[in-house]
Amino acid sequence: MKKTTLVLISVLLIFSCRKDDSENFDGPDLNDLFGPFSIIQEIEVNKKTADFPVDNTLHFTGELSKNTDWVISITGASTGAKRSISGTQRVISADNSTWDGGANSFPGFGIETAYIEISFPKEEGSPILYDTVSITGSKVDAGYLITSFENGEGANWSKFNQSTVQGKIDCASGESAKGNCHYSFTGNVPWDWAIGSVMIQPSTANFGLPASASNLFFNMAFKPIENSGTGNTFIQFWFDEDENGDGTFDLATEDRFIYEYWFEDTGWNLISYKYSDIQFDVDGNQVSTNGNGLPEPGKLISINVFYLANKDNGLAKAYIDHLIFTTNKPYTP
Amino acid sequence: MTKKILILLLILTTNVLIGQQKKFQINGAARGYLFSNKLNIDESLDSVTTRKANYGHTLLDMGISLFPNKNTEVISMFRIRNEIGGFWGGGVSFNVRQLTLKGVAGNKVKYEIGDIDLKMTPYTLFNTIEEGAINEGDVFAMRREIVYYDMFYNEDNSWRMQGAKVNFGLEFANVIEAIKFKGFITRQRPTDGIVEPERLYGGGTINIKQSENLSFGFNSVNIFDLTETIQDSIQYKNNVHTFNLLYKRNLRENISLGIKTETGMSGAQYINYKDARAPESINDYFYDLAFVTDFEDKKITVELGYKDIGADFLSPGAQTKRINYSKFPGLYQQISNNVTGRPISYTDFISGNTENSIKISEELIPYFAGYNNMNPYGDATPNRRGVYLNLVRTDSVKFKNSFVKATFMTQSRGTGTSKKKKFIQIEAGTDVYINDFFGWKKQLKLDLGLRYENTSRTGEVYEKVKLNSTFIDAGISWEFAEKLDLLVGAKVWVVKGNTYVNLRNQFNAIENFDILDYNFSENTYASGLRYRFNDKNTLSAQYQFFDVKHKDATSVNYGISQFTFLYSLTF
Repeated sequence: MKKTTLVLISVLLIFSCRKDDSENFDGPDLNDLFGPFSIIQEIEVNKKTADFPVDNTLHFTGELSKNTDWVISITGASTGAKRSISGTQRVISADNSTWDGGANSFPGFGIETAYIEISFPKEEGSPILYDTVSITGSKVDAGYLITSFENGEGANWSKFNQSTVQGKIDCASGESAKGNCHYSFTGNVPWDWAIGSVMIQPSTANFGLPASASNLFFNMAFKPIENSGTGNTFIQFWFDEDENGDGTFDLATEDRFIYEYWFEDTGWNLISYKYSDIQFDVDGNQVSTNGNGLPEPGKLISINVFYLANKDNGLAKAYIDHLIFTTNKPYTP
Repeated sequence: MTKKILILLLILTTNVLIGQQKKFQINGAARGYLFSNKLNIDESLDSVTTRKANYGHTLLDMGISLFPNKNTEVISMFRIRNEIGGFWGGGVSFNVRQLTLKGVAGNKVKYEIGDIDLKMTPYTLFNTIEEGAINEGDVFAMRREIVYYDMFYNEDNSWRMQGAKVNFGLEFANVIEAIKFKGFITRQRPTDGIVEPERLYGGGTINIKQSENLSFGFNSVNIFDLTETIQDSIQYKNNVHTFNLLYKRNLRENISLGIKTETGMSGAQYINYKDARAPESINDYFYDLAFVTDFEDKKITVELGYKDIGADFLSPGAQTKRINYSKFPGLYQQISNNVTGRPISYTDFISGNTENSIKISEELIPYFAGYNNMNPYGDATPNRRGVYLNLVRTDSVKFKNSFVKATFMTQSRGTGTSKKKKFIQIEAGTDVYINDFFGWKKQLKLDLGLRYENTSRTGEVYEKVKLNSTFIDAGISWEFAEKLDLLVGAKVWVVKGNTYVNLRNQFNAIENFDILDYNFSENTYASGLRYRFNDKNTLSAQYQFFDVKHKDATSVNYGISQFTFLYSLTF
């Protein structure tokens, strides 16, 4: 009997060796769900002045009593650009609150003061915190910038405007999507949908784009102002490729890809699509061109931005800004 | 036509009675069951729900067992059910209730195919009893048995499944006395051809009896989805393997001491699931070890044990609940002017108004913490460890089926906090034969049951839990005239306190918690008359009143009074 008891006690001891889970627990933390909310360490921005080309980023630091939703909203005082950073972590740090100077959408931030508002939407009665940052240098975009209209018209550009239309670069109006300038079309063309266009051509042999179209995105900011609404406004892009490399574009033998974008809403819109997609129409069918039919960004020598609007609606007005190619993903303002 | 059928049945029955070799046998059940319900609720709280609901049915379960040869039996049972008021075929249903082929192959291997009942151990395959009955009185039990019969919830806690099972044994002259093998395979779910693959459930046991004093066994149950039954390659698997042992030794005449243990592990796998929440695998183990002392002359058994069920121990065959408390009852499904869902009460089960499990579930089914917070999934409830003490006295002259069970548990892993909940549960019950005290021949029996449960957790305000649940179950059955019983009974459940209930996703991971703050009592009182034609044939009429009273102003107080008439016959 003693032997049996000893064996049993040994078995019991062996079984009792389950790892003690005294620190771990299942499910979400009750403190996060139902615990009281307080700010343990003040939430602060690590720089009061941001020169993004030099500093790259800024971030926030602080500590809360619990994991809960927080939102940092940044608004440009001049441009009205907006960026929100949100999270749920208790500790706010560079890991979860870094700002690279970009905006959620157009317009982007300029050289200006940015207002900061920090809120906790799920915490009833919680304070809203305010701060400011002075932006002394705008974010540098990764990609191949064609133009942001900041340096005027290029030497090889050509424009088309109906006789009643004014197409020009506007600066310092505070209405640009990015930087200080944009291109505007304004006029009443009761006889035709075509309003105007600007053909952008490089001052060198080409735009210096990579050869592969499959991971290259074309991006542009567009803002219809007048004559907008369903079925009233669209943009046509003409991408001309110099396939034989002779420095000129021959419509009879080379590729001109025409891509259309229709708009309904007003405000700045980001047009972004993969360059390899321009060979297909909206139904996915291969478009007809006079060259080899393959989008080859390395051979692109001209981009024509053509603004069209409903001739029956009177005044047509729209802005374009910031033509840029990006790799692997669409542009983020 | 009716005459012809009667003559045919008479001939068939006569054949059974006078036949030298039984070729078939007829058995079955019949009943008539009428309900008249009334919802009792303040007019200001509910002016939209229809107060009265009357319904009923009659049914016949006709079972025919055929014996093509001495080793084979074919069992079939057909159910004809007619809803009261559905004249001329309206409301009539005709179903196959059971179809089983069974027999003995080679005079050695027993087999069953079709509808089979399966049970293994409390940690592998076990149909745990629902909440709301602790040694309850006949006035409730006779109606609960109807539900059990319909749902195939047998007394041995088996599950009714569709598949096949075999068992056979070997006997030895030396070292060990016998080895018994059991195996089964069942189909839990056919594929829908789109998202749900076909699911099977199989397993078996090997029980080795070394002597009268020592026996042990190996058990295994396994759920597995069949690949290529849908286009997707997802596959769910769950394996539970356990070892159980029973050893006893006579300390002296009529007193034996022994140990009873079961230990094992579970592993669940979610293969090729696209849902990011699906874990690759969840593994854990358990053990349950008890010292058992039998005082045979006094018919008393004392069991002192310790068990530890891992937080991730998942055994669907043992953890599937009979009632899903997240659903709503069939009667008065929505009440109040806000048309809110009426929560399931324990009396809804007795009246057959709950949606009950008919197959095992890989998901831990939501439970009602007010009724049972310690072991809602039976003995195999995960994330529990602690000691238990059971005293059972099976028989005495005046008291029968007496028991006291005390269990003290904690969580093995905290939920929502590192602080762990503690549980105390005490269950007790006895049948008192009052007539034996006075020497009366006609039976006067008092059934008593008590269940108390306390849940607590210390910590910050938002972590604290304190929940008390007390359930009293009592009944009297008095044969005041020959074969005529007066039945009365009461069930009182008082719940007060707060707790947090786990809200789990389909992969059994806790995603959130439901804050529950209770302060209510649910009371059921019933009385009736029962006439026993014989042991298998009764007629009863009873009135039952149930009410829920909440102490807080936000919950709805209501009651349901119910008159039932039940004629029950088995043959």
